Amino acid sequence: MDKVVLFLSLVTLAGVSSQPIADNQRVFSIAVSRVQHLHLLAQALFLDFEGSLQMEDQRQLNKIFLQDFCNSDYIISPLDKHETQRSSVLKLLSISYRLVESWEFPSHSLSGGSSPRNQVPSKLSELKMGILLLIRANQDGAEMFSDSSPLQLAPYGNYYQSVADDESLKRTYELLACFKKDMHKVETYLTVAKCRLSPEANCTL
Amino acid sequence: MRNVQELTWLLLLVLTPRTKGGLSRPGKPTLTSCRSPEKETFTCWWQPASDGGLPTTYALYYRKENSEIMYECPDYFTGGENSCFFNKNNTSIWVNYNITVVATNRLGSTFSDSVDVDVVYIVQPNPPENVSLSVMEDKGWPFLRVAWAPPRKADTRSGWITLIYELRIRSEGENEWETHVAGQQKLFNIFSLRSGGLYLVQVRCKPDHGFWSDWSSPSQIRFPEYFHQEKSAWIVTTAVCAFIFLIITWLLHMNHGSLKHCLLPPVPGPKIKGFDEQLLKKGKSEDIFNALVVSDFPMSWSSSSNSEDLLVELLEVYIPEERENMLGASKDLGGGSFKLESSTSDSDSGRGSCDSRTLLIEKCGRPKEHEDSAEERVEREDWEDARVDTGGRTWPSVFPGLPDRPQRSLSDGLSQVLGPSEGQVCKQIKARSDINIAVSGHKESPARWSVEYVGVQTVVNDDMVILQPWGSREGCTPLHSLQERDYSQVKQVGSDDTLLLLQKVSEGTADGREAGNMSQKSATCMNSTTATGGYVDAAAAFPMTTY
Repeated sequence: MDKVVLFLSLVTLAGVSSQPIADNQRVFSIAVSRVQHLHLLAQALFLDFEGSLQMEDQRQLNKIFLQDFCNSDYIISPLDKHETQRSSVLKLLSISYRLVESWEFPSHSLSGGSSPRNQVPSKLSELKMGILLLIRANQDGAEMFSDSSPLQLAPYGNYYQSVADDESLKRTYELLACFKKDMHKVETYLTVAKCRLSPEANCTL
Repeated sequence: MRNVQELTWLLLLVLTPRTKGGLSRPGKPTLTSCRSPEKETFTCWWQPASDGGLPTTYALYYRKENSEIMYECPDYFTGGENSCFFNKNNTSIWVNYNITVVATNRLGSTFSDSVDVDVVYIVQPNPPENVSLSVMEDKGWPFLRVAWAPPRKADTRSGWITLIYELRIRSEGENEWETHVAGQQKLFNIFSLRSGGLYLVQVRCKPDHGFWSDWSSPSQIRFPEYFHQEKSAWIVTTAVCAFIFLIITWLLHMNHGSLKHCLLPPVPGPKIKGFDEQLLKKGKSEDIFNALVVSDFPMSWSSSSNSEDLLVELLEVYIPEERENMLGASKDLGGGSFKLESSTSDSDSGRGSCDSRTLLIEKCGRPKEHEDSAEERVEREDWEDARVDTGGRTWPSVFPGLPDRPQRSLSDGLSQVLGPSEGQVCKQIKARSDINIAVSGHKESPARWSVEYVGVQTVVNDDMVILQPWGSREGCTPLHSLQERDYSQVKQVGSDDTLLLLQKVSEGTADGREAGNMSQKSATCMNSTTATGGYVDAAAAFPMTTY
């Protein structure tokens, strides 16, 4: 009797889960496109800022940048293809979620020459919601990575605010560079996860 | 840390002995570029400067961000000369590399400027591979399909790298390329190509954030001549149109006459029976008219077999008013010649007063009235001939053909004229009866003519005519009733188409009395004759001979 019940439950689960796959792909596509847009936005901001700098400042900033690090460096993320492919989809999704979340607050201080300045925080929050949906859809175990991230975020959340304003140029440069890099990370992770979950496991069109 | 390193390098530079002469330390190399073809490995190249006349070695050192450890290039050969290749193990993405190249010779070392490299942003893939060109057809119209494969090393299957493609095409003679963006797809259709041309196609790709690859090697294809099919279609169409045009032209030509007849109907010419155009052309009017006369307008003896159509014939014999004139005219006619006016050929013209019954009775009856008067008798006596009024007032000749046709018997003519009628129509012959002649047997008073109206019932013999007086004709009794029949025998045919009837009395009574009776009868019958029958023009009965 128990086996029958178990069998029936498995069948229903299989039936139910078939539809979320299509929705999964759809949500993945939306998330990938949104993060791509954010990355392009970050790239545009960075280039604008770099263009507005003097040549001397630019060289200095290049040197400075190597020493500093981004606020998201504490988030351990795969840094090459091998590591990325070794990570599970859920791990990739959780890392992406943490990255996006880490930029929710600092993005308010991103200074942009044009209007996109105010759009970044809202876009980030929307992206975070989408990634959360994906995590919940693909969560099949008890792994809850997202729980630990807010605890780590708090000490570093005020990192950029504590710095003095006289180095605003440097800060802006670092902000923009780190933002751009992190967006590209999320884009890559989401694309790899999406391709791995696609029915044919083949991302080639 | 960094300052220490720099101090170290400066000390080395200072402590390095400088040679005198042309030799010196190597020049400052420069890093030209670092590229990653698949976002997994990358290669950096540098440009060496002057070597200072001494053998110079180059070394590349790099440092990762957030780390002070200097690493030397692991591979100087894979990338070629003056290059450093970083394999997968040594490559980290989203990590800044600080790379420096050092040129060293016996006299010293020279450092290049450091370059910060993030592998993500230096990706430049290899050109697409396996570019294939094929001509496909879409509803008869050919187009070019270009297909390619991503570069071998780029991992697009797992989504690690996303490539977008672009292709360009030009024909052989042109210099400008036509560029098409293909997106992420790996095939592309080009439609607007000229037939018979040789085309060159190249494809390149770019990662979503990176550099464009080099163009692939040109692939050639010759577009087929599909305009030939179009030409043949045009040729067929032109031939069909020409054929149709020819047919229409031929039809128009064939129906030219009818079309012309339809659009411009011809004016009908005069149609006169017996009108001979040839004679007209000759100009002999007399012959023409005679021809008209000869034609079977008055029915010929031989030609007309059905004389039933002719209902009534009239033989007009009466004394004209204008006797003197007519005498003159009759003298002219006395050769048996009969002049016909052109208008007299038509008996139906209604010209003569005797054509109509009423008129005929008036005019023609007058002599009867005068019959009893002596004066008239005298006049009649003077009158030699039967008058034939040719003035158009009367009816044309009575027996014009008789004198000229001796071979024809009167009975034949009469029989033909009268026909074996069943008595429906009573035929009347106005005959001049020579009563006196009949009585006397010879012409003592040939001039004493009297006009009577008699009806011919039958023709007994060749020269015997059974006449029927007017009075007895009221009922138009059939032929078999011969109660009051008078027999008249044709005694003589006058020279001028006159008929002398020899009246015989069947009962042997005196002819004179009979004649008188007859005259009376005829007189009585005169009034009643108007209602009966019709007159037949004897001229119509007998053919007109040419005069």
